[in-house]
Amino acid sequence: MCGTCGCADPANEVSMTNPETGVKTVLNAALGHGESRSDDHDHDHHHEGDDVPHVHGPAGEIIPLEAAILGKNDKIAAQNRGWFEGRGVTALNIVSSPGSGKTTLLETTIKMMNGKIDIAVIEGDQMTANDADRIRDAGAKAIQINTGAGCHLEADMIASAAKAIDPKPGSLLVIENVGNLVCPAMFDLGEKMKVAVISTTEGEDKPIKYPHMFRVVEVVIINKMDLAPHVDFDEAACRANIAEINPGAEILCLSAKTGDGMDAWCKWLEQLATSSVSETA
Amino acid sequence: MHELGLARSIAGIAEENAKGRTLKEVRVAIGPLACVERGALEFCWGLVTESTGIAGVELGFLDAEGDTFVVRELEFMEEA
Repeated sequence: MCGTCGCADPANEVSMTNPETGVKTVLNAALGHGESRSDDHDHDHHHEGDDVPHVHGPAGEIIPLEAAILGKNDKIAAQNRGWFEGRGVTALNIVSSPGSGKTTLLETTIKMMNGKIDIAVIEGDQMTANDADRIRDAGAKAIQINTGAGCHLEADMIASAAKAIDPKPGSLLVIENVGNLVCPAMFDLGEKMKVAVISTTEGEDKPIKYPHMFRVVEVVIINKMDLAPHVDFDEAACRANIAEINPGAEILCLSAKTGDGMDAWCKWLEQLATSSVSETA
Repeated sequence: MHELGLARSIAGIAEENAKGRTLKEVRVAIGPLACVERGALEFCWGLVTESTGIAGVELGFLDAEGDTFVVRELEFMEEA
C-alpha cells in the first residue's frame, strides 16, 4: 500500500523529469508494506523532558503536545517561500480539477507574454511528462514532477524542482498542481498565492462543492468561456457561488483557446511579478 | 485520500514522543476547516499501526477551531 494516498500500486514513487535533457530523478522511492516514511522525520515539534506540565487521567499520565501534523511540510514550505522572496521570484500555485485547461492557459500565457516576463513552470501529474513537454514547446522552462499514486504536490517536491529549474530573479514560477480540488488545499508549497481554474463545462457549483479549495485561493479563473453558450453556463450564478465561499477572491473570465480575456490575466501577472521585484529591491 | 499519509505522520509523532513508554491513546485536535475526514483517518490509523510498536493504541478526536490539525495529547497506560 502506498504511503501517500492508500492505493495498492507497488510501483508508486515520486520522480522529477527535465524535458530538455530527459533526465529523471527519483525524489521518493516506493514504500513497501509496513515501511514508514516517518522514521527519519524532523517534525517541528517540542521535545519535552520530565519537567513538562502534565495531568493524570483515569488510566495514566497524559502529556500535552500540540505537534502540528503537517509541521514538516509547513517548515519546508516556509523555506521555499524565503528562497523565492530572496530571489524576487513570484511563485503561484495553480489548482483545479483535471481537464479545466490549466496547461492550455499556461501555453497561451507564455506565448502572449513573449518573453516580457520570464516564466518557468513546475508541472505536477501522477504520470507522464506530457504537460512539461507542452510548456517547453510553448517556449518556457519546465520540470515535470510525477507523484506516482500521490494526489497532490508537497513542499519538498517543490524545493527539489525549484533548485533544478533555477528561476531567474524577477521571474514567475508557476506550479501547476495535480488536477484535484481536494488535497492540494491542505499542502502549502511556499507559493505567494493559490489560483483556482474552473471551466464552464464543469458547471457553476464547483466552488460550493469544494469549498476548502475555493476558500484558500486569491484568484479564480473561469476558463473555456467560448463554450459557455453551448453548455448553458450561468456566469452570474458561478460568480455568486465563488463570492459565497470567498468574497475577496478576484474573478477573471477568459478563454485560453481563443485568447478572449487573456489580456487582463497577463496584465495582472505582469503587475504581480513587478511588485514582487520592487518589494525585494 | 491523503489520510493514510496523515495517519503515518501522527504515528511518527506519537512514537517519537512516547519515548518507549506504553501508549493508551493518541488524541488529535481537528478543526472544521482542516480538510480531514475523521472516519478515513480512523480507518487508516488501524492500517498504519498494525504490526508496529503502537499497534492497538487508540486514536481519539478532540474538537478544535478553524484549520487546527495537531496531535494534542498522548495518554499513557498506568505503570505498575
